[in-house]
Amino acid sequence: MGFDHQTFVAFAKSWGLFYLIALAIGVLIYAFWPSNRKRFDRAKKSILDKDDRPGD
Amino acid sequence: MPNFHRKLERSAIGFVLAIIGVSAIGGFVEIAPLFTIQETVEKAPDMRVYTPLETAGRNIYIREGCYACHSQMIRTLRDEVERYGPYSLAVESQYDKPMLWGSKRTGPDLARLGGKYSDAWHVAHLVNPRAVVPQSVMPKYGWLMRNELSTADLSLHLAAQRRLGVPYTEAQVANASADAYGQASPDSSYAGGVGERYGAETNVRAFDGEPGRLTEMDALVAYLQVLGRLTDAAHRQTAAKGK
Amino acid sequence: MVSALTLSERQLAIAVSSLLALCGFAMALAGRDDLLGVHGVIVLLFGVGGIFLVLSKYFEPEPSDERLTRYYDDPTKVGIVLSLAWAVVGMFFGVWVSALLAWPDLTFDAGWASFGRLRPVHTSGVIFGFGGNALIATSLHVLQRTSRARLPDQFSPWFVLIGYNLFCVIAASGYLMGLTQSKEYAEPEWYADLWLVVVWVTYFLIYIRTLQRRKEPHIYVANWYYMAFILVVAVLHIVNNLALPISLGSAKSYTVYSGVQDAMVQWWYGHNAVAFFLTAGFLGMMYYYLPKRAGRPIFSYRLSIISFWGITFMYMWAGSHHLHYTALPQWVQTLGMTFSVVLLVPSWASAGNALATLNGAWHKVRDDATLRFMMVAAVFYGLSTFEGSFMAIRAVNSLSHYTDWTVGHVHAGALGWVAMITFGSIYALVPWMWKVKQIYSPKLVEVHFWLALSGTVIYVFAMWNSGIIQGLMWRTYNDSGTLAYSFIDSLVAMHPYYIARTVGGLFFLIGAIVASYNVWMTIRMARWQAPVHAAEADMPAGAALQPGE
Repeated sequence: MGFDHQTFVAFAKSWGLFYLIALAIGVLIYAFWPSNRKRFDRAKKSILDKDDRPGD
Repeated sequence: MPNFHRKLERSAIGFVLAIIGVSAIGGFVEIAPLFTIQETVEKAPDMRVYTPLETAGRNIYIREGCYACHSQMIRTLRDEVERYGPYSLAVESQYDKPMLWGSKRTGPDLARLGGKYSDAWHVAHLVNPRAVVPQSVMPKYGWLMRNELSTADLSLHLAAQRRLGVPYTEAQVANASADAYGQASPDSSYAGGVGERYGAETNVRAFDGEPGRLTEMDALVAYLQVLGRLTDAAHRQTAAKGK
Repeated sequence: MVSALTLSERQLAIAVSSLLALCGFAMALAGRDDLLGVHGVIVLLFGVGGIFLVLSKYFEPEPSDERLTRYYDDPTKVGIVLSLAWAVVGMFFGVWVSALLAWPDLTFDAGWASFGRLRPVHTSGVIFGFGGNALIATSLHVLQRTSRARLPDQFSPWFVLIGYNLFCVIAASGYLMGLTQSKEYAEPEWYADLWLVVVWVTYFLIYIRTLQRRKEPHIYVANWYYMAFILVVAVLHIVNNLALPISLGSAKSYTVYSGVQDAMVQWWYGHNAVAFFLTAGFLGMMYYYLPKRAGRPIFSYRLSIISFWGITFMYMWAGSHHLHYTALPQWVQTLGMTFSVVLLVPSWASAGNALATLNGAWHKVRDDATLRFMMVAAVFYGLSTFEGSFMAIRAVNSLSHYTDWTVGHVHAGALGWVAMITFGSIYALVPWMWKVKQIYSPKLVEVHFWLALSGTVIYVFAMWNSGIIQGLMWRTYNDSGTLAYSFIDSLVAMHPYYIARTVGGLFFLIGAIVASYNVWMTIRMARWQAPVHAAEADMPAGAALQPGE
């Protein structure tokens, strides 16, 4: 297992970028997936409901 | 994908793992090369470690928060090199635990301070900066002159660093307290060992101007006088580029 | 406080306090020749204090099961008070150290009162004392409301809150005695760091246990940010603070990293402390209290998700922009610069989201200083993230680094964003927590708002001016090709700005004192009014059931 500095750098420079792109696409798909719209709408309004007691 | 994420959200643990994954893996990809970064550091065979007295001085520098106003990192910019000296190399701080590069210059950079002023200037400056530089806003550090330096645990300091990879020899660790005393007491019998263990060019002087006492001032001035002088690598590099 | 604990929790509290006292005793004994001993005594006192506190109420009746139908807000209340107390202390030290730069002899001939030791008391006092307590207090409130679930037990929140403040006390007292690792925003020594890990793990467990019992299928986005704050700060804290003490009887330790590696680790920590402590946590605050106070849902929930993952991912890579033109390998510098610039996207998404939420509620912003605090916070968040990305560009950084510009940037974020959103959230939260119609004096909130805003503007403008002047003077050449100004010339030129900065900071401090007074009077007002409210049928009957209050 001879990991030298160059290997790490090459790995960081290549896979780091793929990781970033994959993650960005994943997040965008999740955020804009049509069936998620309802739950997001519910979530954003939920905090404005009555919140005096647990379980309300 | 949405189903996957929905499940992820439903279980709080899954969500935790996602956050750790995204942040830590992302961070790790960048950080990983830094665990081998010592391989990229220039070699400087002539470089020596800090003496016990300088180590004690460095710890006083840390204790008083000097790093908050003084950097020890000359950047590769023309004006900095002309103002302070050859730009700093990674190798110069290879034994620095922690590094003291700093991030603010309320006062000037100190990376090449060693040998620039006399011991007496440093002592006068630290006791009352405005006596030497009237416009200075540096605090007075009068207590450094009053406080005896505690040398009892210096062996422990060196031993801890040795375990963390700083190449102190066993003799250096064992004689730490004596060497600290000897470096500031040139006329004592302890002085000779300092040169033996740390090299003939090591400063052995009564740094605070009072040979009889070992004060915190001795330690701090000894440290300030060795800044940028543990190796010639930076000067050599600049000279080579000049040709 | 104690009367709300069940019998087994009281026993647990005594056991934990005893253990703490024992640790303190051991520290005091092992470190009797060292400053560690002083901290041992402080820990011992905390432990003994805890034991006495619990014992004094030990035989009071246990709380009834009726408590489970209500949220547990006592730790939040105490957290708010502690946060304000630290705000006043931390900002007082800030004004003091800034005055020292204009008048360096405004100090005593004593080590503890010198600039280098007072400065970390200021930075830790405001970041960890003020900011940290506010984060703990608000997160426990938001967590319960958005999960519609009560905290899992009554003991662990107190452990987190008191344990965290013990950490803050150890940190601040240590700096005054000269105990510091010199790591920016991570100065406390090894034993304090270990203690914080214990506290933090408990904090995380409270969060996860509550989330698992939540009645809402979806975890509200504010919790995402709080969660990222808790998790990532834990990772950062542990990695950055790995150190070897010289002996178990000494406070001094040496970090495992050295030189360039230490530099990178420190700034990886330092920048992400800004990202996950001072940004993610407070964004969590913003995503709950701003919509709540405005009475309008967040403008775009999607945008908040995208912004969340963007921030969580990209901040991790940006730390190296603190090390431009240094001995750090250049590719790491470039990577840091690139990600810092891209970071502007998720940052502005959050700032824009907050401001767009206020569309249609601008009349409320005009009339309500509390909401205005939050609005201004969002604006400053946008400004300082833009400035941050700008300053991370190598060419700009060559001018700004090492100068007061950095200090100005930090304070635009710290005063304009962090403190403003905190004050806004506290003003919104206090009437809810103490069950009064409104804060004691809305007029004083207004006064505080203008003090805070003018203080921030004065401070930031002074530092922008001084920083840029400083940077330019250092690099100016005269006609003969030599440097035009000595270092001391640039220092002399700073004097008026250092005075202006002190004035700005003083305004901000006075504002914090006004806020503390206002909150204190609200609490007293709530006590007078409590019986009236308990009689009202629609209010949760808090006062009648909590005799200890």
